[in-house]
Amino acid sequence: MEQLSDEQIVTDILRGDKDLYREIIKRYNEKLSRYLRKFLSDRDDIEDILQVVFIKAYKNLYGFNVNKKFSSWIYRIAHNEAINHLKRFRNGRISLDDIEYKLIDEKADIKRDADRMFLKKDIERVISNLNIKYRDPIVLFYFEDMSYEEISDVLRIPKNTVGTLILRGKNLIKQYLEDINKKHGR
Amino acid sequence: MEDKEQKLENNVMGKIKSGKIGLKSKYLFLAEKLGLGTAFALSVLLSVLLFNLILFYLKETDNLKYLSLGKFGIFAFLESFPYLLVVAFVILIGLSGYLITKSDVSYKKPFGYLAVGLVIFIMLFGGILTFTNLAHGIEKQARGGGPAGMFLTPLTNMRNSGVAGIVFERGDDYLILETPHGLRNVGIENVEEVPSIEKGQFIIAVGSQDGHDFNVEKIKIVDKKDVSAIGRGIEFKFGPFVGKDLNEESIKLLPPDLLYFNKQYRDCVKICFDSEIDSKDCFKECHK
Repeated sequence: MEQLSDEQIVTDILRGDKDLYREIIKRYNEKLSRYLRKFLSDRDDIEDILQVVFIKAYKNLYGFNVNKKFSSWIYRIAHNEAINHLKRFRNGRISLDDIEYKLIDEKADIKRDADRMFLKKDIERVISNLNIKYRDPIVLFYFEDMSYEEISDVLRIPKNTVGTLILRGKNLIKQYLEDINKKHGR
Repeated sequence: MEDKEQKLENNVMGKIKSGKIGLKSKYLFLAEKLGLGTAFALSVLLSVLLFNLILFYLKETDNLKYLSLGKFGIFAFLESFPYLLVVAFVILIGLSGYLITKSDVSYKKPFGYLAVGLVIFIMLFGGILTFTNLAHGIEKQARGGGPAGMFLTPLTNMRNSGVAGIVFERGDDYLILETPHGLRNVGIENVEEVPSIEKGQFIIAVGSQDGHDFNVEKIKIVDKKDVSAIGRGIEFKFGPFVGKDLNEESIKLLPPDLLYFNKQYRDCVKICFDSEIDSKDCFKECHK
């Protein structure tokens, strides 16, 4: 089962093997949950949305082109649901776990000499307040470890634009952090 | 955490197995794709057609020509502007742009380039269509009351700030013009510099409507081919009477419906024409 690609599993589900959808849920439950945490803070909301995502994905399986990547497709559904939720309700504060913090610290190279725990809280606040336009590609790139190509599939924007948005987002984060440091006299 | 994950998995799978949720039919997706493609193709085709009609209207009617006649010309331009045509065109361009973002064509492509490409395509093919008789066919529908003619309605509308037509008769302080709405009495006493106007020449003039008469502020002789749609409108209205001399025979033949005046005025002029009185005197007499 593990050797089967997502796309092969989807093909088999469409042939009538509904049980295989359990494998899809297993593969994406944690990933999507982690992804949604970058937009929403309430765990109950995340669970509800996650369930909606899996149900929508199942219902629309015929709409998926098996020649394309399933992961991008299901992330796209999760992305749309998260955005819809954000439009309906107030934007919640996100929370980074230590691994995620380390990721953005190293990969985005925004580490400063300040107290790391203090900086982590700053980064959480800055990313929470970051415009969704920049937050989305940054989350997918640094936390979901997606390539520009995959992010471009999920967000349906050109690959070059992905790079530009990540760069601008990263600069904004740096700028905000510098402002915070200045404010606190660090 | 694991429990929650398991719970979600069981929950979703339970709904799938019990049939509470099912796969949407593949034909639904097919229909959606086809519908989107058809709507996009139709909106682009209509945009091309409307752009062609805008070009046609601006090139062949009096609308743009009024702009060369100063302040009054602007009023006449605004009055004869094809608003419905332009608004419909803008809406269709917007719709085409929206539909292209929803289609596979735009997948991961920058919208800016697609929008520019779309506009260039519409303008190019709209321009190419000017070499066909399509717009003339729609112009005929506009005159004959056909449904497609609705976009060219301003072509057949009476203008209150401008007039265009062929000089039927020239007097010292007046002109009688053949227009697509019939004969119109045009007063030129307010015009500072009246060009040398002769019978049969095509003129455009701006000013204001005053009862039955049109008082001209500025007037200009134009080439018939520059306002050819107006020329066709006159031919449509006058038929065999277009450009006829006011001799004894033609006056008798001239039907009163060619006169853009109310019934009482038309009857008066008709009786007057039948009496073989000079047309200038007829108009003046009936105007009293």
